[in-house]
Amino acid sequence: MKNRADLIIYWGGNPAECHPRHFTKYTIMQKGRFIPNGRKGRTMVLVDIRETPSAKAADVFLQVRPGKDFEVLTALRAVVKGQRVDAAAVADTGLSLDQLTDLANRMKACRFGVLFFGMGLSMTRGKHMNSAAALTLAAELNAFTKFVAMPMRGHGNVTGADVIMRYTTAFPFGVNLSRGYPRFNPGEFSTIDLLVRGDNDATLVLGADPGATMPQPAIRHLSQTPTIVLDPKVTHTSRLAKVHITTAATGITAPGTVYRMDEIPLPLKPPLVGPYPTDEDVMRRIREAAERKAHIAA
Amino acid sequence: MLRIRGGKVYDPKNGVDGVVKDVCISGGNVVTDVDGGRVIDGTGLVVFPGGVDVHTHVAGAALNFARGLIPEQHRNAHPIVRDHIRRAGIVGATPTTFATGYVYAGMGWTTVNEAAVPVLSAKHTHEELRDTPMVDKTCCVLMANNEILLDLIEAGDHERVKHVLAWHVWAAKAYGVKAVNPGGVEAWKFGGDAKKLLEPVPGYKTLTPADIVSGMARACDELRLPHAVHLHCNNLGAPGNVSTTLDTMKALEGHRAHMAHLQYHAYGGDDWLTFRSESAKIAEAFNASPNLTCDAGAVLFGTTVTITADGPWQHLLYQLTGKKWGNLDVENETGCGVVPYVYKEKNIVNAVQWAVGLELLLLIDDPWRVSLTTDHPNGAPFWRYPEILHLLMNADFRKEQIARLPEKARSRIILDQLTREYTLGEVAVISSAGPARALGLEHKGHLGVGADADVAVYHAEKDVTKMFSHPRYVIKGGEVVVEEGELRQVVEGSVTAVKPAYDPEVEEFLRQLFQQYYTMSFDNYPVTPDRVHGLQVNELN
Repeated sequence: MKNRADLIIYWGGNPAECHPRHFTKYTIMQKGRFIPNGRKGRTMVLVDIRETPSAKAADVFLQVRPGKDFEVLTALRAVVKGQRVDAAAVADTGLSLDQLTDLANRMKACRFGVLFFGMGLSMTRGKHMNSAAALTLAAELNAFTKFVAMPMRGHGNVTGADVIMRYTTAFPFGVNLSRGYPRFNPGEFSTIDLLVRGDNDATLVLGADPGATMPQPAIRHLSQTPTIVLDPKVTHTSRLAKVHITTAATGITAPGTVYRMDEIPLPLKPPLVGPYPTDEDVMRRIREAAERKAHIAA
Repeated sequence: MLRIRGGKVYDPKNGVDGVVKDVCISGGNVVTDVDGGRVIDGTGLVVFPGGVDVHTHVAGAALNFARGLIPEQHRNAHPIVRDHIRRAGIVGATPTTFATGYVYAGMGWTTVNEAAVPVLSAKHTHEELRDTPMVDKTCCVLMANNEILLDLIEAGDHERVKHVLAWHVWAAKAYGVKAVNPGGVEAWKFGGDAKKLLEPVPGYKTLTPADIVSGMARACDELRLPHAVHLHCNNLGAPGNVSTTLDTMKALEGHRAHMAHLQYHAYGGDDWLTFRSESAKIAEAFNASPNLTCDAGAVLFGTTVTITADGPWQHLLYQLTGKKWGNLDVENETGCGVVPYVYKEKNIVNAVQWAVGLELLLLIDDPWRVSLTTDHPNGAPFWRYPEILHLLMNADFRKEQIARLPEKARSRIILDQLTREYTLGEVAVISSAGPARALGLEHKGHLGVGADADVAVYHAEKDVTKMFSHPRYVIKGGEVVVEEGELRQVVEGSVTAVKPAYDPEVEEFLRQLFQQYYTMSFDNYPVTPDRVHGLQVNELN
């Protein structure tokens, strides 16, 4: 991207506020091996339902009506392939056929295109169908030019968790180990669904704050059952938990590894010394204590 | 201390071919004799040095990407249920890390070479290797599409090529150097490929894939790396690619090379409709080139997932299959593509591929130079190796299988004319002694005094698949890990890395280019030794 991308599309994301280093470190502002002029050598398109601060950075801003991303992506795939598209149907999405045709032409004419899609696409109406449509569009564009797509992940080391779950259990999230081996079924075994249904009788929260982001029934279940939180600070979830253990902040007072959104691991070197144990240390001690207890019981 | 008494021992490196004798083990090594300790009765059993896989994909970002792409395959795969020694996991085409160790050792294989590691994500590869128990490990760092290296080769700065290569081997804590589709993956970053060996790579003025191949092979030789350049030729999988492969052999100019998954590079025909086997031509040229080793990259029918750094080929496969496709570009060094795939007996191309793998294994006359692999998981998952041994050892069984192929496919292969049957001694060569020699691992693949005590003890039976799938005993580093076909304990494996000598000045040269073109800090690029679990360093002068 840094060295090659001459067309950069952000869809359903607001990097200016949510990934503030993205423009300067990886995409539009960088000079690259094949983009010697930096920003002047690149075109940025922003697709979103509202004009966020990221729109200022964009050359083209396309405002989609909320919940219509899937329709736009599907129509765009058809335009890319040169199929006939009904202008009236497109108008229903908040965009015009001309705008889509212009975008399709830019996509096919670029040398190296990137489509970044954020949670405004993957977590709104249509959810994984939207992601699938975005990925399919990028794959199909490779018949014309080089095109890639990448999700803009949420905060923290969410990519790292995803990576490690995959090599230890074969699945990225939503894994159930209750039968002694990994089973995967998003919608059934994903955290939010377990909590909303009240399937689990205790919860361990590591480096996340579901109490601030999840729907009310999930939060209620967290507060009514034993919840343990490991976090450097007292979070919304800590307030409704039975136990909060303050741990060292990784990258500030604890070393560790964080995975970038492209799954490249980066080592973290802590600049400060702190009084708190690391997450790993706490987990190990809990396990050892549980083993001791099991031993005594036996 | 341990004595395996009275087994029929196959130890080709030491010239032992089915001799009844004792194998004695002490302190993790094979010794001449032991006094006391446990005795395993080997009467009627076959004793092999532990298997060595010269080319497999068991860890790393590309494989892990593939794991995420095929949840529907995992659902039907064999699960590993957690018990007092094993951790939970899934086997299937892309086993999870712990499962990988259990299954390899459960089959009597105790050393693996992970064949494709980008430096940029080498830290991740080592994280996965750390969680892969039961086997000793090495890996090869991907260099043939590294822009810094390619510029140096184009400029003819061979001295610096050598230092840059050496620096990267140590930076990745790798053991060898891998070249995948030299120049082609670089061209793919703008949607191109490099199919012609003697034509410039798109984006370069004069640099051809042949220059890259010969430059890297020469550097590996001059650095005296224990393993030759590990070469995945250009034009993989394409009809008529036999000419590219033969050109590559010539371009090496006598330098050593290990030609990976040769099966995928031995095809004739002008297009998919005329696709046919050219294994005879490849084997003939290969037999006449003592500088080369290879592995089979054999194909078995069934479901798997293809993973390779060969991005443009995977895009083609995606267009051919219309299935899922994943692509990763790794900044300025390499890339990768993932496509789930089913090899079908009734598909003419697949049937030819199946035959070509076996033909090469039968036509290459020196078993020391051809290793048993499936390019796991590309041709088939590694746990299906025993099925290939069955096909190699039993010509009648092979005939039965050939009879099931479509007639059109049968007319494009020569497998039906080959009557050779592998002996147990030859199996010990292609599955252990040979790959250990190709890798330059002196303590592996044999049972001589001083060797690592990695031993597989099989119950000889007619059903070769059964025999090699379920060893009676497996000993890893002197510990009995499999007994009566059951996993009894889990042991950790080591990672061997090579540290070639290089001019420290090369670091400053790389730093400048790196800071300009990469997106991470140069100091964060190398894998620090403390991140590699069980690191053993082979320092070269």
